[in-house]
Amino acid sequence: MGDEIKIIEDKATPIIKEWEDYARKGNWTVKGYQVVRGISGPEVLGKGQEEEYMVVYRPHGVLYHHSYGLVSKFFKGLIDGKLYGAKCPKCETVYCPPRAHCWNPACKVERTQWIDLPLRGVVHTFSVMLFSADAFLEHLPFVLGYVQVEGAHTALPIQIVTAPTNVFIGQKVEIRFREKRHGDLMDIYCVPEPDQPIPEYSCLHKDEKNLRDLNRDLENTYTFLKNRFGLTKEEIERRWAK
Amino acid sequence: MRRVAILGGGIYRPDRVRLEVAEEGVAMAYRQLLEDVPNLDPMDIQFVQSSYFSDHLNQQLCMAWIVQDYIGLHRKGGYRVEAGGSTPLDAIINAYYLIQSGHYDLILVVGWEWMSEVDTATTNEFIASASDTDWDFTVGGYYNGYYAALETRHMQLYGETIEDLGRIAVKNRNNAVHNPYSQWRSEHGTSYVTLDDYYNDRIIAWPYRRWNCALISEGACCLLMGSDRVAAKYTNNPMWIAGVGLGTDSMRPGDRLVNWAYHGAFKGDERIYPDEFPKPITPYPEMANFGFAREAAKQAYAQAGIADPLKQIDFCELFAPYDGVELCLYEDLMFCPRGEGKTLVREGVTERGGELPCQLSGGLTAFAHPVGATSLMQTLFCYWELAGLIPEKFGDPTLQLKNPRRALITGHGGTGCQGGVIIYSKD
Repeated sequence: MGDEIKIIEDKATPIIKEWEDYARKGNWTVKGYQVVRGISGPEVLGKGQEEEYMVVYRPHGVLYHHSYGLVSKFFKGLIDGKLYGAKCPKCETVYCPPRAHCWNPACKVERTQWIDLPLRGVVHTFSVMLFSADAFLEHLPFVLGYVQVEGAHTALPIQIVTAPTNVFIGQKVEIRFREKRHGDLMDIYCVPEPDQPIPEYSCLHKDEKNLRDLNRDLENTYTFLKNRFGLTKEEIERRWAK
Repeated sequence: MRRVAILGGGIYRPDRVRLEVAEEGVAMAYRQLLEDVPNLDPMDIQFVQSSYFSDHLNQQLCMAWIVQDYIGLHRKGGYRVEAGGSTPLDAIINAYYLIQSGHYDLILVVGWEWMSEVDTATTNEFIASASDTDWDFTVGGYYNGYYAALETRHMQLYGETIEDLGRIAVKNRNNAVHNPYSQWRSEHGTSYVTLDDYYNDRIIAWPYRRWNCALISEGACCLLMGSDRVAAKYTNNPMWIAGVGLGTDSMRPGDRLVNWAYHGAFKGDERIYPDEFPKPITPYPEMANFGFAREAAKQAYAQAGIADPLKQIDFCELFAPYDGVELCLYEDLMFCPRGEGKTLVREGVTERGGELPCQLSGGLTAFAHPVGATSLMQTLFCYWELAGLIPEKFGDPTLQLKNPRRALITGHGGTGCQGGVIIYSKD
């Protein structure tokens, strides 16, 4: 960081040291190669000819430093166990995710003000994830939710920790903080408030075939997790038993 | 202002893994174009418009420079446009503006994507870095998840079912088996699939199964675009651009609940909202529909003189990376009122042989989706359709419509964050 920047709290220096080494190992040099034979040419399958190709394996690892800018207070709030939103003093829209400036064209990029938000919300929509990007494979299966926090007008992306067959649009949820927090949205998650029957309208539950197929493919995901990470179904189900 | 036409094109067959590199794939597609347009002297080309999406996927920035020099056009003007999934559509529209304004008469548009150099989960991760990486990405989000959540919302509000999504998936696959360039045909063969097969397919992100999701592809395509001053020199079958439109929406889909830029813009659609669910401040498009497409269609239809798209357009190649997007686009492009996309599916309106066939090529889920080439491939498909060349190019007449006059394509990136519509016309 530049000389004009004063560090107030430092939870990064050991990691920066660790990654110096990783960046050196994760550089661009070729770590291995294969020679393969495969199809060549623009033509439709069956019409091209084969060629030999050399395929190299080349890693790339980096550590970014990234400022959360004027919404830093939100993320520092997560570390401290507080949930903040941003309110426009002109049109009174409440944003969570927060915006430092109101996006209502009528407010002409007005600066917003911080407000406390309660740890409650309603599921606006969701997806049950049975496959994911690398960084989240160990979290599978999980529910990606968009939750409207009480008092906010937008929806916050957040994981809903519950049995995947238990979630529905309109479900009331309680927002909780994880014990170990890093300063991103994974520091919070939500769980359904107790004693909510699944409503008749729920698009996931309306057709029993939906649940049958979802349960079938949850089993496939358990098998994947067992093979890849040695996780058992019981360990996974314990996540949402609490 | 000058009129602008597509004058020809070439394709390098997309597949999950191709072992030639991008510049070689583009060169092979370009060579096809040169064979198809024998009057084209490469040095006639005044500008090269490049289109590719990701710098992460291949550890290479500025790949457009490699491609342009590889095909020997590096003295000419040229640059890349990039906007996620909207990249190839924006490239075509950008070339259109450059020709329409009189800056150039002849432009080569080249598009490609090589997406399998990292494993599938990492490819998904790199693509997801086009979502907001401080927010949506961090909770395990990636595009299958975002789009699935959007579809859950639309499904809840407007009542389509998994079966409707399955019908679209089956339709697109059963079109793609007649397209010998389609990845589905390379992977699966030429047999038709049924709804039962769809139900046996694996769920990736409920409500989406694997078959509902765009393919990961490596492939290339190029188009020759020119003005009305030069078109006749190169082809007897120009495909004219009759209208274009562009639109945008918020980066984070969750922000669309209070979407001030859209607030009150489409009042009719705001009113079509079920009573039993609390209305967000901005009820259209919210997290259910695609506002960019409505905004873009409005502009494109006005330019092309289209008042009744269902009647006046003969077929569509939609940019639908997920089958629910296809259904929603029927509504946002005004083929039917909001909430009636499911009716078009159930009545077979968009099937082959229906009133408005959509995704005859197979689309992003069955033809292929090498991002930077996708809208070029769909455009080339439209070109071959309007020129009556499908039987010759595919060795199979099944997908050739009888005397089509007008086609529509869309393109978009992110969760509908940016995109557009183009209307193509035979005359």
